[in-house]
Amino acid sequence: MTVPCGVRAPLVATLATLVLGVLAAGLAPGAARAEIATQYQVETDLTCQCGCGLTVHSCNHLNCGSGIPLKKEIGEQIAQAKTRDEILSHFSTKYGEKILSSPTTSGFNIAAWTVPFVAIALGGLFIGVVLVRWRRFTDGPDAAAGVAPPSTTDPDLKAKLDRALAELDRRS
Amino acid sequence: MSELGRLAVVLGFLVALWGIVASVLGAIRRDDRLVASGKHAAYAFSGLTGIAVAALLTLLLQHDFNVEYVASYSSSSLPVWYTIAALWGGMKGSLLWWTFILAVCNAVVQVQNRDKNRDQMPWVTATMLVVGAFFLSLLVFITDPFERLPFTPREGSDLNPLLQNYWMTIHPPSLYIGFVSTTVPFAFAIAALATGKLGDAWIRTTRRWALFSWFFLSLGNLFGAAWAYVVLGWGGYWAWDPVENAAFMPWLTATAYLHSVMIQEKKDMLKVWNMALVILTFSLTIFGTFLTRSGVISSVHSFTQSGMGPFFMYFLLAILLVSIGLVVWRLPLLRSRNELESVFSREATFLLNNLILVGIAFTVFWGTVFPVLSEWVRGVKITVGPPFFNKVNAPLGVALVFLMGVGPVIAWRKATATSLWRSFAAPMGTGVAIGAIAFALGARNFYAVLAFSVAAFALATVWIEFWRGMRVRQAMMGEKAWTALSRLIGKNRRRYGGYVVHVGIVMIFIGIVASSVFKLEVQRSMKIGESLAIGGYTVRYDGIHQESDDHVDSTYALVSVLEGEGAAAVRVGEVRPEKRFYKKPKQPTTEVSIWSTLRDDLYVVLGSYDPPSQLAVFQVFVNPMIAWMWIGGVVLALGTGICMWPSYSERSVTAQARIPAGSRPA
Repeated sequence: MTVPCGVRAPLVATLATLVLGVLAAGLAPGAARAEIATQYQVETDLTCQCGCGLTVHSCNHLNCGSGIPLKKEIGEQIAQAKTRDEILSHFSTKYGEKILSSPTTSGFNIAAWTVPFVAIALGGLFIGVVLVRWRRFTDGPDAAAGVAPPSTTDPDLKAKLDRALAELDRRS
Repeated sequence: MSELGRLAVVLGFLVALWGIVASVLGAIRRDDRLVASGKHAAYAFSGLTGIAVAALLTLLLQHDFNVEYVASYSSSSLPVWYTIAALWGGMKGSLLWWTFILAVCNAVVQVQNRDKNRDQMPWVTATMLVVGAFFLSLLVFITDPFERLPFTPREGSDLNPLLQNYWMTIHPPSLYIGFVSTTVPFAFAIAALATGKLGDAWIRTTRRWALFSWFFLSLGNLFGAAWAYVVLGWGGYWAWDPVENAAFMPWLTATAYLHSVMIQEKKDMLKVWNMALVILTFSLTIFGTFLTRSGVISSVHSFTQSGMGPFFMYFLLAILLVSIGLVVWRLPLLRSRNELESVFSREATFLLNNLILVGIAFTVFWGTVFPVLSEWVRGVKITVGPPFFNKVNAPLGVALVFLMGVGPVIAWRKATATSLWRSFAAPMGTGVAIGAIAFALGARNFYAVLAFSVAAFALATVWIEFWRGMRVRQAMMGEKAWTALSRLIGKNRRRYGGYVVHVGIVMIFIGIVASSVFKLEVQRSMKIGESLAIGGYTVRYDGIHQESDDHVDSTYALVSVLEGEGAAAVRVGEVRPEKRFYKKPKQPTTEVSIWSTLRDDLYVVLGSYDPPSQLAVFQVFVNPMIAWMWIGGVVLALGTGICMWPSYSERSVTAQARIPAGSRPA
C-alpha cells in the first residue's frame, strides 16, 4: 500500500508520539501497584516530610524525625500483607496527599501525567502539518521551474568571497 | 569600603538608566553622540559594578562583621576560598554577582562590536542595561549588600556548611555565567526585532555566545550534580528539586536553539521559532532566579523568603510582553520561505529533536509548577517528586538519544532509502548487538536495555562519521591516520566538535541510566573488624578517628575496600567517610567517601557513630558507571572547545581586519 506524501509526515509524527505515549503508559503509577508491596517500593513512593525534598528511601538525615518513623510504619503496613495501593492509601489518608512522591492518577491529578504527552503529541501533529505544507511549497510551481536551492556555501569559501569583495571595495 | 560599594551600586543604577535612555533615543533619532554616550554608560556600568563587587569581596576578606552580609555569611575561621565563595553564598551577594557577570558580558560585547553592528548595538546596549538596571534596582531599593549593623558582632555566623565544598565554589559561578550570558543572544534578538534587520547577522554574531552560555549551563548543572553527589550523601546526584529544574530548563531550550539555528543558517527557515527559543531561554533564566527568591515553591536550594518574588514576576512578565509584542510586530519580516523536500531529512530530524527538547522542558516546568496549580485548583498540596520526573522523562530521553544518532548522519534536504541503509545499517546492528549483550548479561529492565541499545547506536553513528571522514582524507591526501583525523576536525570544527559533544552527552546518558537502574545499597551497623559484601566489593570497618579545630569537629571512619568477596577478597584501597559538626552555625554534615572506577562507584556514608561501643552505622551504595557522567562532562567540554575555536579563515579575517587598510599588502 502506498501512503500519499501529504499524509506521511503527520502520520509519522503521530505514530512517534503514540509510541512515546505507550512507553510512558507502562511507567505510570498504578500500573503495578496491586501486587504485594516491598519496603523499597513504598519508601520511594513516599516523600520524607523533613523538608529535604527526597523520598523516604533517599532521606539520610541523621535521626530524621520524619523518615525514620515513616520507614518503621511502612514496615508495619507490609507486615499486615497489604498491597502497595492499600499502603499508599493509608499514608495518604493519615498524612495528606502531599506525602505521595508523585501525583495519583485520579481526578485533577491525571492532568499531571497526561498534559506533557498531550502537549508533545499536539506539537508533533503541528510539526507534521507544517512539514506537509512545506513539502507542498517545495513541490509548487517555483520548484518545477527549477529555482535554485538556498546557498549551502562552505564557510571557508564564504569567508574567501567576503575578503575578495572587501578588497574590491577598497580598490574601487 | 561599604560606602564605596554602596555608591558604586547607586551610580551604576543611575548610569544604566542614562545608558538606556541615550541608546534608545540615539537609535531612534540616529544621533551618533547619544549612541556613543549610551556606549560609554555601558562601560561605566561595567566598571561601577566591578567596583561594587571588589568592595564586597574586600569587606569579606577583611572580616568586617559590622556589614550585615559579611556577618551573616562568613567568619574569621572560614578558609579564604570559601570566604570568596561567600560572595555568592547569600541572596544579596548573589544578586550583585549576577549583575557583575552581566557587566563583564556587556563590556565584552561592547568591545567585540565596536566597529560592527552599528544599527543594532544601541538596542543591544539598551536591552543589556535594562536587565542590569533591574538587578541593581533591587540592590538599591530592596536589599542592600553593604548594609551596616547598629553594632559589630565579635564573630560572623559563617557560610552554610553545605556550601563549604569545592564543587560549591565553582558550581554557582558556572551556572550564573550560563544564566547571565543568555542575555547576549536575547539582547541581539531584541535588537534585530527593533531594527527589522532579521537576517542571520545577529545569529552569526551571537553564535559563540549561545554556545558559551550553553557550555556554562552544562557545566553548572554537572557541577551541581557532583556537589549533590558528594555532599548530600543520599547516593544520588539529581533530585528534581525545583531549583535544579530551573537550571535544567534553560539548558534544554538552549540546546534546541543550537540545533534549530543551523536550519536557519543553512536554509533560512525557522526564524520565528529561533527567536522564540532565544526569548524562552532568557525568560527561563529569570524564572529560575525568581524561583529561588520568591518562596513560591519550596526547595532545599532556596534563599530565605525575601519578598522579592513579585519584582521578578513583574520583570518576567514585562520581558515576555515586550518580546512577544516585538515578534508579532515583525511577523511579516520574519516569514521565511520554508521548504522541505522530504520528511527523511536532517531538517525534519532537527524539528523532532526540538519537539522533544522543548517537550522535556515543558514536562519539567509542568511538574515544577503543578503543586502550585493543584493548590489553586483543589486547595490540596501535593508533591511532584523524582518518581514523576523519572517516569515521564525516561521515554523522551531515549527518543532524544535516538535522534542524536540519526541527526548527524541523515542527509540535508532528502535522504534516499539507499543512503539511509548505508548510513544506519551498521549503527543499528551495533545498537541491537549491545542490547542483546546487555540482556545476556542479565539486564532485564526494558528501559535500560533500550537505553543502552540506543546509546550504542548514537555512538556508532558518530564513530562511523569520524572513520569515514578520516579514511577519505587518507585516500585523497595520503595523510597518516592521526593527521587525517586532526585535519578533518580542524577543517570543520563546528561539525566534528558537535559530534564530540554528542559523545559526551551519550556518556552522561549511559551513566545516568546505569546508576539509576542497577544501583545497589545496604545499610548496616558494624563493629570494628566487621565487614559487609556488596556488588563484588567487601567493605571492612577498620577503625575510627576524631579531629577538631576552631572551625569543625570531625569524626571519620577508616574503611578498607576489598575487591571480591569472602576469602578471595583483595584489599585495593581505603575510604574515609566522615561526619562533621560545624561550630558556626552548629550543624552536622555528611562527607561521603567514594572509591571510584570506570565500572562503578563504591559510595560509603558514615550514618552514625556511638563512641562508647565504637559501633558505626554505614550506608554503602554501589553506583554503576557514575564516572562516565563526569568523563562525559570533560568530553562535552572538549567538544564545545573545538566548536568555539576559530577556524583558520575566521582567524585570518580577524587578523586582516586589525591591519589598517592602507598598510595591507596589495
